[in-house]
Amino acid sequence: MSGITAGLLLATTAMTGGQHALLMFPLCLSIAVVYKTTRCDDLRDIPLAAIVLWVTIVLGMYGVGVGLWALFSVMA
Amino acid sequence: MAKAQEHAAVQMPLAGLLSWILPGLGHLYLGHRARGLILLITICATFWTGIFIGGSAATVNPHSRKAWFIAQLGTGGNTLAAYALTASTLRRLTPAPAEDSPFLGHWLSADVGVHYTGIAGLLNLLVILDAMARADGSGSRESGRAQEVKGGK
Repeated sequence: MSGITAGLLLATTAMTGGQHALLMFPLCLSIAVVYKTTRCDDLRDIPLAAIVLWVTIVLGMYGVGVGLWALFSVMA
Repeated sequence: MAKAQEHAAVQMPLAGLLSWILPGLGHLYLGHRARGLILLITICATFWTGIFIGGSAATVNPHSRKAWFIAQLGTGGNTLAAYALTASTLRRLTPAPAEDSPFLGHWLSADVGVHYTGIAGLLNLLVILDAMARADGSGSRESGRAQEVKGGK
C-alpha cells in the first residue's frame, strides 16, 4: 500500500496541452479561497467572495491570453 | 497591559512558526478553528495535487529548480516531507533513473506540478503573515474565540 502511494507521488502524470489548461481552474480557485479566507472577517462571506474572485482571475487571465494572442497575430 | 504585550510577543512568532510547519496551524492555535481548517485543507490539497501531477522528484528539486524550491519552502512541513520522500526513494533506485524516466519527468506535468507547489508555498506566506497579524491583534480583527462566538449566534 505504501509502495503504491509512494509510486503515485513519485512518478509524473502524463498530460496533454488541453488538460494542462484545465488545471488552471482549480489553482485559481485555491488562490481565491486562501486570499478571501485571510481577508473576510465573517466566515459566511468567504464562499461568494471566493467565487467572485475566482471568476475574475480566470476571466482576467483569459483576457490577457486573448490580448497577447491578438497582438502576436497582428505583428506576425 | 505589559503582560498582554508580552503574551502577544510570544504568540506572534509562535503562530507564524506553526503556520510555516503546517498551513492553518497558527490560526488553529489562535482559536480561528474554521479559518485554520479551510487554509489547512486548501493549501495542503494544492501542494499535494502538484506533487501528484508532477511527481516529487521533478517538482521538489533544489538542484534543478532552485527559485521554485525557495517558493515551495513557504509551506515548510509539506516541502520537507516531499523532499524526504524524493530523497529516500531515489536513493533506493539503483542505477540512477534515466533522463526520460517517469520519476524525472514529463516536462509539461512537471511544470504544472512546480506551479501548484510553488503557489501553495507563496500562498502560505500570506497565511503566515495573517496569523502573525491576528496574534498581534493589529487592525480591526477580533480574536478567533470572539469571532466564533459571534458567528455561532
